[in-house]
Amino acid sequence: MDIPYTVTARKDTGLYNAKVGIWLFLASEVMLFGGLFSGYVFLRVYADFPWPERALPVVPGLINTFILIGSSVTIVFAWAALKMRKWRQFQVFMIITLLCAGLFMVLKGIEYKAKWSHQAVRMKDFVVIEGHTHKATIDNTGHIHHYHPEGEHGEKGHAAIGDEANGMILVAAEGDSHGEEGHHSDEGLTQSEPFEFNRVVFKADSVTVDLEKFYDPVIRDLMKQAQDQGKSIVLTGDLYGRSTHEVDEKLLASKGDLLSLGMLKKLRAVHLDAKAHNAAIKTKQNRKAWAQLRGSLPKDQKGAPSYKIKGDLVLDEEFNKFLVSAPSSVRFEIMDAAEEGTEKTAASATFVLKPREVREGAESSSLRDGTLLEGELDAKHSQIEMAADAIDFRFVAQRAVEKGIDPEVAIQNTWLIKNNPEVKELWAEHKSHIDKLAKELEKHGFDKNGKPKQFPTDTERYRMGWQELVNMGEGKEVMGVFSGFAGPNHKKDYAKHFPEIVVPREETNLESKFTPRWNNYYAIYFLITGLHGLHVIGGALVLGHFLFCGKKMYLNNPERLANRVEVGGLFWHFVDLVWIFLFPILYLM
Amino acid sequence: MSAAAPTADHDHGHDDHHHDDHHPNFLQKYFFSTDHKTIGIQYGLVSLIFLLIGFCLMMVMRWSIAYPHEPLPEWMSFFFSEDWKARWLQDGMVKGETYNMFGAMHGTIMVFLGVVPLGFAAFGNYVTPLQIGAIDMAFPKLNMMSFWLYFVGGLLMLASFFLNTGAAQSGWTNYSPLAGIQQSGAPNQWMTGQTWWLLAMVFLISSSLLGSVNFITTIINLRAKGLTWMRLPFFVWAMLVTGFLLLLAFPPLEAAALMQLSDRVFGSSFFMPSGLVTGNGALEVAGSGSPLLYQHLFWFLGHPEVYVLLLPAIACVAEIIPCNTRKPLWGYRPMVWSVLILGFLSFIVWAHHMYLTGMGPVISTFFQTTTVLISIPSVILLTSLIISMWGGSIRFTVPMLWATAFIPMFGIGGLTGLPLAFNLVGLHLHDTYYVIGHFHYVVAPGILFGLFAGVYHWYPKVTGRYMNNLLGHLHFWPSLIFINLLFFPMLIQGMAGFHRRWYNGGDAYLAQASESANVFGNTVEQYLPLNILMSNAAFWLALAQLPFIINVFFAWRRGKKVENDNPWNATTLEWATPTPPGHGNFTFEPSVYRGPYEYSRPDSEEDYMPQWHEPSQSEPSPAPVEKESDATVA
Repeated sequence: MDIPYTVTARKDTGLYNAKVGIWLFLASEVMLFGGLFSGYVFLRVYADFPWPERALPVVPGLINTFILIGSSVTIVFAWAALKMRKWRQFQVFMIITLLCAGLFMVLKGIEYKAKWSHQAVRMKDFVVIEGHTHKATIDNTGHIHHYHPEGEHGEKGHAAIGDEANGMILVAAEGDSHGEEGHHSDEGLTQSEPFEFNRVVFKADSVTVDLEKFYDPVIRDLMKQAQDQGKSIVLTGDLYGRSTHEVDEKLLASKGDLLSLGMLKKLRAVHLDAKAHNAAIKTKQNRKAWAQLRGSLPKDQKGAPSYKIKGDLVLDEEFNKFLVSAPSSVRFEIMDAAEEGTEKTAASATFVLKPREVREGAESSSLRDGTLLEGELDAKHSQIEMAADAIDFRFVAQRAVEKGIDPEVAIQNTWLIKNNPEVKELWAEHKSHIDKLAKELEKHGFDKNGKPKQFPTDTERYRMGWQELVNMGEGKEVMGVFSGFAGPNHKKDYAKHFPEIVVPREETNLESKFTPRWNNYYAIYFLITGLHGLHVIGGALVLGHFLFCGKKMYLNNPERLANRVEVGGLFWHFVDLVWIFLFPILYLM
Repeated sequence: MSAAAPTADHDHGHDDHHHDDHHPNFLQKYFFSTDHKTIGIQYGLVSLIFLLIGFCLMMVMRWSIAYPHEPLPEWMSFFFSEDWKARWLQDGMVKGETYNMFGAMHGTIMVFLGVVPLGFAAFGNYVTPLQIGAIDMAFPKLNMMSFWLYFVGGLLMLASFFLNTGAAQSGWTNYSPLAGIQQSGAPNQWMTGQTWWLLAMVFLISSSLLGSVNFITTIINLRAKGLTWMRLPFFVWAMLVTGFLLLLAFPPLEAAALMQLSDRVFGSSFFMPSGLVTGNGALEVAGSGSPLLYQHLFWFLGHPEVYVLLLPAIACVAEIIPCNTRKPLWGYRPMVWSVLILGFLSFIVWAHHMYLTGMGPVISTFFQTTTVLISIPSVILLTSLIISMWGGSIRFTVPMLWATAFIPMFGIGGLTGLPLAFNLVGLHLHDTYYVIGHFHYVVAPGILFGLFAGVYHWYPKVTGRYMNNLLGHLHFWPSLIFINLLFFPMLIQGMAGFHRRWYNGGDAYLAQASESANVFGNTVEQYLPLNILMSNAAFWLALAQLPFIINVFFAWRRGKKVENDNPWNATTLEWATPTPPGHGNFTFEPSVYRGPYEYSRPDSEEDYMPQWHEPSQSEPSPAPVEKESDATVA
């Protein structure tokens, strides 16, 4: 009992089953990518920010285009080889196809990685600063060390925040290995370090945990950070509670107990049991009251809507005595971890937190699971410090034009220009350069309105990119085609030209790496190319299956294997075609 | 050096899947079966369970609407745990967020996990290959995978009720930006109901993609000898169109789901406009996203989805009516063309769900026009079904009762949709119970009645036994009465202005009664008492489903046995198989000699002429079917 037309075509349709299937599948895929491309058009047309044009590195994209086109050719050769029953030839072409797929993904990975290690900040006044955020490491003598590209101590990078010996002993946030030995030497971090993330530093005296919402990783992180500073998180008072009225209230935790997940879970269990118990009591109370109320009504009003009669509802107070109480949140204090037997003394601990996971305030900050820290925000160490490889005023200019303000004035009034003399200088130099360019372009003539026919673009006028920054001022660097292969190059010779910028957190309204979060251009870029990448991987897996596991079928039924390769090849062509649309839309337009 | 080229040998071509054909073990036979009939039954049972779950959610909501200040009665809350009740009920009463959660999941479960799998996947899987004389679907393994993807997606949806955040709470349409920020306070965004909704949808969409590819390929390539396009039963045509709708309409929703997922877990702003402020202050997102884009992508699926729901039901009815009136289906060819045009038009009407979004009058007018146009093929279908009954000697079997009731019920649903097509009227009726009443008339007494008809009709083929007649009547008549008592008042309330999202039955609205009056007075208040009637009708409707549940299981082993393989004396190929059909379906190689609805031919002694019967001497040799069916119609 076999399904017909798996190998040979049906006469009246001229197709074998899998071929019908793959065309249908591709039609569905067209709708999927069609939806995403429509999304791209919609988002770009209605964008209220300057859409980044040609922001992606073209060279890897271009190479990838040719790689995929090439592999589409070799897959056809592989199929043809099968049709001619030349197994070895099939193997060769299939291997080339798979290598192309691998190369494509490697280049894609390089491209992605460059974005994930590159950060941007949008100020409240819509100045955009791109670059690498410094990660400070705080060593056990309390010195805060910053990376700065020149590798010398105390010049640019340390001008803003000097070393500070306040007795803090912290390890880097997240407990990763980069904050370990060797990085706080005077030479600074080496170039390969991922020195791009920033943090919120909060000096807390107390921690209040919401028993229903607390999240284990958050609590664990707090405990670890406190422990590393030699502090303990200690319960402030005895906690009593019970989960039903049938048992007596008992001591759940006593003053001085250390914060632990086990304790929190135990308290949560009692709290939830008590809550369920109370809810059941109140439900009974409510039900009884409603039954009595409906029972007391005259027959023709028994079905009256509840909003009309709820005023007459009488709750039976007897039920209230069955209600129990148990704590729903617990407050802890930070203490010095004293020797056994001696009295602990109140202290504070400094917590290093990820900006997205905390809603910070001057006196209290709440974490993402509702845990409340009380104390004092360390605003100075919560600042964002960057080696800026691009400063972008396009958004400022766009908003100024929308409001009818002169963009130049708006830029002069930005926080960055006012507060950072170095940037101010760079901007002045950039402006004179652009004015010169505009003058030069005027020689192409004017239109009938008296405007020059050619003029600098907004990007040229309002953005100082990394190559421009490198070549401003005295020293000029020679840059090859591949020096910016996947994005701004932070090697020492270049990075020394990047201005050091320190931004207080309250002046910013968005900080992000170049991930989907940064703006919709990167969001749609990652979504479409990511989905396309998954298609490449999926297609390569299927083709690899034909290559490595196809020999048996080749010997039994080579035509069937050829059909499979043909179907796989059709899919591969589709994947190629999607890229051919993607490349110009995302990289060139 | 190339290997020696072996010659193609078809007999050995299926070495990789013939091992499970003849002696499947228990798991292979009942769980991981690749047989289209087993998969159809699996789909049928699972989707009926989901329908029941969706119904239960609805009863809790209806209680909250009718008795907003009264705790849930014990009989309705016994299947919630104490902890769950403590979290989601306020002293036993339904909370607003619980109502939202149940509302969102009621819609999701009913549409994506209940009706579509029952109509398209269960009936389609069981009946389509039989009707076209195929031994199985074109891709049996994909078929199995399709079911299990659906099953996992369904479990994921159900499991999300037990997360700390609860299940999705932003309506079954999951509109952004609400759905993007819903439950965003949870510490781990991957563990929220709203995110699981999206993940489950990815499973369901993949499932329906595999299913639709499979159906279309099967219908195109595996038709029996002589089964030309115009000899296809209408059922198969409807499945073909449904397959295309699923194939092409679902992917844009998948795109939207991926974008929303990215908004939720990666913090992107696809659907987050600039300057969005919530109760927690301004959102820290890039902004510049477009909520309208989500609605476009959603309704690009959403509207064809309506026809994905409808077509299988109308397909069942179109099979049952000719069989029970002993007359050919009236207007077979116009019906085929109508269903094709319907399928096409359903892709260009979606924005009539969005008149209130401010798309602009030009776009609204375009979609208003196409929406009015689509009523033409719908009316042709319904009219053909009505005329098919004209002058027949109707056998009112239980399936025929349901099929007959389908017509006026779906008619009400369709006709109440016409005013909604006009964007001026839409301004008034949008988001009121009128809309709820309209589409529930289409889906519940319309589509579900059609599918119930199908269950009663094909049950003898599936099990070899009839379903009980008395229980069938006990199921049908109360259902018909209570479902109308449930849905008709919605139309009235809706026109009076009752809003579809009032969780407490308009109570909060009445608290501001002085401000809620319009020029006609307080139009809503006078229709509020209808809530109690409607909710009680819903509870009685639940009771009316009990005979059906009993019937399905009782008849499986104890029902009256069928006398032969073709108990209804029907003409299409599924009745040519043994009962129940074995693996491979047919005991002979089926050939088709005539159109699908050859009932009461004057030149034949019996009142039906099955498609597979070889022409006798008296019947002229098979002529092109077009002329033949024209003659029959005339």
